[in-house]
Amino acid sequence: MEPFPIPVVCDCDPGHDDAIMLLLAKASPRLRVLAVTTSCGNQTIEKTTWNARRICTLLGLEAPIAMGAAKPLCGQPITAPNIHGQSGLDGPRLPEPRLPLSALTAVELTAKVISECSEPVTIISTGPLTNTACFLLAHPELKPRIRQISLMGGGLAHGNWTPAAEFNILVDPEAADIVFRSGVPILMSGLDVTLKALITEADIARIRAIGGEISRVTAEWLDYFYVFHKGIGYAGAPLHDPCAAAVLIRPELFDIRPMHVEIETGGEFCRGATVGALPGVEDEYAPNVRCVMGLDREGFVDLLCEAVASYGY
Amino acid sequence: MGTEKHLIWLDCDFGTDDAAALLCAHGAASLEILGISTLAGNVEAHKTFRNALRLNRLLGADYPVYPGAEAPLVYPAEPGYRFHGENGLGGVELPLPDRWETPAEKAWDALYRTAAAHPGALELIATGPLTNVALALNLHPELQKLLRRIVIMGGAAVGGNKTPAAEFNIYSDPHAAKIVFEAGIPLTMCGLDVTNKAWFSETELARVGACGTPAARFFAESLKTPLQASGQGTVRLHDVTAVLFVSNPELFTGQLAGVRVETRSALTRGKTVTDLWSDQKFPSRNAFVVLGVDRPAFVRRVSELVCSLKAVEN
Repeated sequence: MEPFPIPVVCDCDPGHDDAIMLLLAKASPRLRVLAVTTSCGNQTIEKTTWNARRICTLLGLEAPIAMGAAKPLCGQPITAPNIHGQSGLDGPRLPEPRLPLSALTAVELTAKVISECSEPVTIISTGPLTNTACFLLAHPELKPRIRQISLMGGGLAHGNWTPAAEFNILVDPEAADIVFRSGVPILMSGLDVTLKALITEADIARIRAIGGEISRVTAEWLDYFYVFHKGIGYAGAPLHDPCAAAVLIRPELFDIRPMHVEIETGGEFCRGATVGALPGVEDEYAPNVRCVMGLDREGFVDLLCEAVASYGY
Repeated sequence: MGTEKHLIWLDCDFGTDDAAALLCAHGAASLEILGISTLAGNVEAHKTFRNALRLNRLLGADYPVYPGAEAPLVYPAEPGYRFHGENGLGGVELPLPDRWETPAEKAWDALYRTAAAHPGALELIATGPLTNVALALNLHPELQKLLRRIVIMGGAAVGGNKTPAAEFNIYSDPHAAKIVFEAGIPLTMCGLDVTNKAWFSETELARVGACGTPAARFFAESLKTPLQASGQGTVRLHDVTAVLFVSNPELFTGQLAGVRVETRSALTRGKTVTDLWSDQKFPSRNAFVVLGVDRPAFVRRVSELVCSLKAVEN
C-alpha cells in the first residue's frame, strides 16, 4: 500500500475529462497536488493552459501552473474541437483565472517540485506525453525521484481517434515511446478501462442533486460530454482522464495487470498504437507497464460523487 | 440450408490444423472440393505439397493438388515446427500415394483456370499465408470478378500469436494479405478472435481418435503436437473454423468491418487493423470479421465429420 497522501504533478490538456481529473485530485485527501502543467492536445496550448487556470480557480486548487510545449516532439498538433468545443472546455461559464501562470515552463516546474519534494513524486498525465518525455530527457538524474507515471492513454484492444490508436498517444507517439521505454514505473489507463468508466444520465442527475457550484458545473461538463458521446453511439460518457487519478486514490476499484507494451511510431495504419503482449503470444515478454483493464463502475461513480460533495456549497 | 453444394478451392500450408480442415471439408456433404493448392507456411513448400498428397491417400481421395509459393512475397519463410512438427503433420508419418507426380501447372494458374470454369461460384478457403492468392490476383486480374468469396484463417481484431500484434499467417506474408484484403472480393476473416475459442480438450480429441478409423486416428494423433505445444492441455483448430464457417455458418457470429493490413512497420508487421470499436472508421467495410463460435456445437460437428470418414484401403 502506498503511503498517503501521494505527492503528484498533474500534466493535462483540459478538456472536460481532464477537468474532472483535477477535481478528483484536489478533493482527495490521498493526493497532494504539487503542480499543474499543461500540454497541447484537446486544444492548443494557449487554450488548455487558460482552461487549467480557470479550473484551478474554480476548484481552489492553489498549486503553481506552468505551460508546456506548443507542439508534439515530432509531429504537428492534433486537436479535438468536435469533442471539447472551440474553447477546449465548452459548456458552463467558468470564473476568470485568479491564479497566475508560473514563469517556468512545464518541464522546469516539474523538475523544481520533484527536486524539492522529500519523497518520490507521481506524475498524472492525461494528455499527450510531450512534457513528460521532455522532462525525462532533460532531467535523467531525477528519474529515481519519480514514483510512477499514471497516464491516460492508449488501449490494448483498439483505438478511438484511428482504428489502431487512442488520441493522447496518437498526438505524440514519439513522446509515448520515450516514456514507455524509460524504465520509470507506468500505470496505464487506456481505452480498455476508460470505455468502461461510463457515466450515465442517472449518474449525472445524482451529481447535480448534490448541490453547490462545483456540483452544478461538473454536471454541466458531464452533460456536454454525454451529449457528444451519445451522438456517436456510446451508451454513456467515458470518463477517460479521471481514471488516471482514481486508480491512485482507490486502486482496489481497478483490475490491474502487468503487461509488456510498446508504442508504434511508424506504420501505415498503426501509428500511435499501444501494442500489448496479451496472453496467447508465442514468446514471453517482460512486463514494463501495469495496465488497467477494468473497474468497479459503481465504486468509481461513488468516488466521483464523494469528491464533488467534498467541495460543499 | 437447401441442397446447394459449395464449390470449394482449398489453399493450405499443411500443417496439422490444415490437415484437420481438409478432413472436415472432405466429410462435409455440402462442400465439393475442386482443387487444393499448397505453399510454404507452417512448414516448407515441398512438405506442404506432399502432405496434401498423403492426405489424399489417407482419405482415398483424388483431389488435384498444385504446388505454390516457396516463400512469402517479400520476407523469408519462417516455418512453425513447434506447433506442427518438422513434417507438418505433428510427426505422424503418412505414406505417399503409390504413384504421384508434381504437376507442371502452378497453384495460381490452376486456381484461376478453375474459377474461370465456374464464374461467380468458386469459394476460396485459404488457411495459410496469402501468397498464392495474392499472386493469383496479380497474375490473373480477372480472378477478382470470378470468385464468389474468400474465407481465410488469419489475422486478429485483437492481439496476436506470432507477435503481440499479429497472427502467424498474416505476419508471414503481410504484403500478400494487404493485396487480398484490398482486392474488393467478399472476404471473411476467421482470426484469433474466433479460432482461440474453437479448441478441443485432450479428452475431446481422444474421443474422436476412439472412432478408430484411420482418418480419426490421424486427427487425434497429429493434433497432439500442437496440444502439447500450447501448454494448456487444449488445441485450437484455427484452420478448421474457415471450413466450418462455410459448411455450418450457423455456429458463428461476427460483424462486417473495415480491416486493413499493416505492412510498413516491424512492430506491427501483419496486424489486421479493424475499425469495429473505434470512433473513426475506414472508408470501406471490406471484411466480415468472425468473432464468436458455439464451441460445444463446433466440437460436436467436427467430431461427427471426422468420424464419418470411411476407412479406406491403403
